[in-house]
Formats: sequence, structure tokens, C-alpha cells
Amino acid sequence: MILHTLATTPGRDAFDNCLAILSPEDAVVLLGDGVYAGIRKTEACKRLRADALAAGLIERLGPITVVDMEGFVSLTERYPRQLGWY
Amino acid sequence: MIYSLLVLSSPASGHGARTAAAFARCILSRGHQLYRVFFLDAGTEVGSSVAVLPQDEADRLRPWIDLSEQHGVELVLCISSALKRGMLDENGSRRHEKIGPTAHPAFIVSGLGQLHDAAANSDRLITFGG
Amino acid sequence: MKDRKTLLVIVRQSPYGSSLARASLDTALAAAALDQPVSLLFLGDGVLQLLPDQHSEAIGVKNIGRLLGSLPLYDIESVYIDAGAAARYQLDTKDLVLPVKPVDPAAVRRLINDCDNVIGF
Repeated sequence: MILHTLATTPGRDAFDNCLAILSPEDAVVLLGDGVYAGIRKTEACKRLRADALAAGLIERLGPITVVDMEGFVSLTERYPRQLGWY
Repeated sequence: MIYSLLVLSSPASGHGARTAAAFARCILSRGHQLYRVFFLDAGTEVGSSVAVLPQDEADRLRPWIDLSEQHGVELVLCISSALKRGMLDENGSRRHEKIGPTAHPAFIVSGLGQLHDAAANSDRLITFGG
Repeated sequence: MKDRKTLLVIVRQSPYGSSLARASLDTALAAAALDQPVSLLFLGDGVLQLLPDQHSEAIGVKNIGRLLGSLPLYDIESVYIDAGAAARYQLDTKDLVLPVKPVDPAAVRRLINDCDNVIGF
């Protein structure tokens, strides 16, 4: 069970490195530049409301759940390991 | 739960440092303990007391000072990363004969052992880059 | 320190393109110096740190290849390399600056899930 925090655009290697090791028991929080992954309609991802707003993506969320900081913190409570990708 | 944070990103670029400060405030408001925040690599620039930001942008240093003053959160700048970037405390500026301290006194300048001590004594270690 | 938690350091940066590469190695070495069980995983562009014959004197910085070559002297538990990235860069995993174990994505997942703490650089 890994909580991935993905803070890079889908065009960068780190993005693919993260996707390569994803498993259904993991969760992904898109933050910073990671929110642009929303354009690709990546499933089962969560993103930070502030970053999504800043990037103008709030209207185009598709299947991704928007979480605020409380939601992000609660994910870190549930997942024992966090791995940052940037 | 006991948390420690590792901040790798510069406050002058990207989102990581700002997100880390907001995250720190949020874990405290949820009743968790924040054992230490360790700043490494470009993250050490967060502790600069001499950076001048555009007036119409958010203050990058204040949220950290508040965490230290209001909640007693320990803020540690990695010494090797800090020195390279001209981030010196009182001691360092004297030892290296520079004009004066550049790190805000809310921050301690210390070694990587402080990161590993934090990891050993926390339930969660959360890294912020980018 | 309360107990000896295991640490996995994931290195994803090329050796001289950013200061983060050196920071990641310093983090692993500091853990080893404190007798904390630590493993290293070179992932993606991080595999480029393992190239033999680095001559960083030419750019006036410490030689990362030489530093890595000295890792067996420290108490680093294991060193792993992303087999896919090694193949992409046509690296011979038997001819690098130190002995490494090639791993596929499934093995990378296991490494992360088996450690107490993971730090990704």
C-alpha cells in the first residue's frame, strides 16, 4: 500500500516511473504540476483543490476525486508509506 | 500520530514548499504531532531571512515562522545544502567569516542525522519536492 | 534513536544535472553511518550515476561514480538498479561502478512495501 504524491506533468519520466509501479491498492495524489494529468483522464487519482484551481482544471475533472488538504492528510493517515514523484 | 516532513523544493520555484507548510498546519489541526521538518537541497532556501519577494505574492517564510513560534515545530536546514546556498546561521557566518547570518533564527542548521532521527521517531515521513 | 527502521532511498536524478543527486547519496550514507539499515534503488535517469569512467574533475565537482564505488565499504544493505532504464541506456549491469541487483517494476513495489521508510529523490 503506497501513497504516491505525483507532482510532475505527464510528459516527464517521473510520471511514467510512478505509473509503472502502481497497483490497485495504492492511491495517487496529483499535486503541483501533477494536476495536469487530469487532462488525460487518469483514473483513481485524487488532487488538491488549490492546485487544480490554480491550473484552471477544476471544471474538467472527469473521474478524479478532488481532495482538499484535510483529504490529503487523511490519506497519509491511512497509508503507511508515501513516495513523492517530481 | 507523529509526523516528520522532508522538504526538497525551493520556495522560489514550484509548489512543494508551499504545500508542505499548508500540510504541516493541517496535521497539527487534526491533532497529530509534528516531530520535525527537515529541509534538504533547494528546500533549505525556505529558511532565508534575506530573500525579497514581490509584494503582491504570498509570504513564503511567515507560515514556517508561525509553525515554530505558535506550535514549537522544530525546523532544521541541512548544513551542507545550506552552506552551498549561502544560508548561514550566526555560528556559521562567524566560522566562515561572512558578513552575517542569512538564515532566519526560527531555523536550526544541522546535519543529515537529524533527518534520520526524525524518521526513526515518527510514524510518518512525508517528502515534498517539485 | 528509538529503533532501527529500514530505509529505502530511491535515486532518480542524473549525476551532475542537479544537486539533488548528491543530496540523495549523502542521505543514504548518513543513514549507514548511523547504523540504520539502508538500501539504494537507482530508478529512471538515476541509473546514469552508475556509469563507469566518470571524470567530473573536468567540471570541478566531486566524482559521484567514485563515491558510489566506495559504497561497499559502508554498511549499505543492497543496491538495486531499474532493469528497464538500464536497458534503455544500454548499460551493462555487470560493468558499473559497483555491484547492483537488477529489478523489474514488481520487484520495485516489493522493495517499497518491505521497508519502513522510503525517500524518493
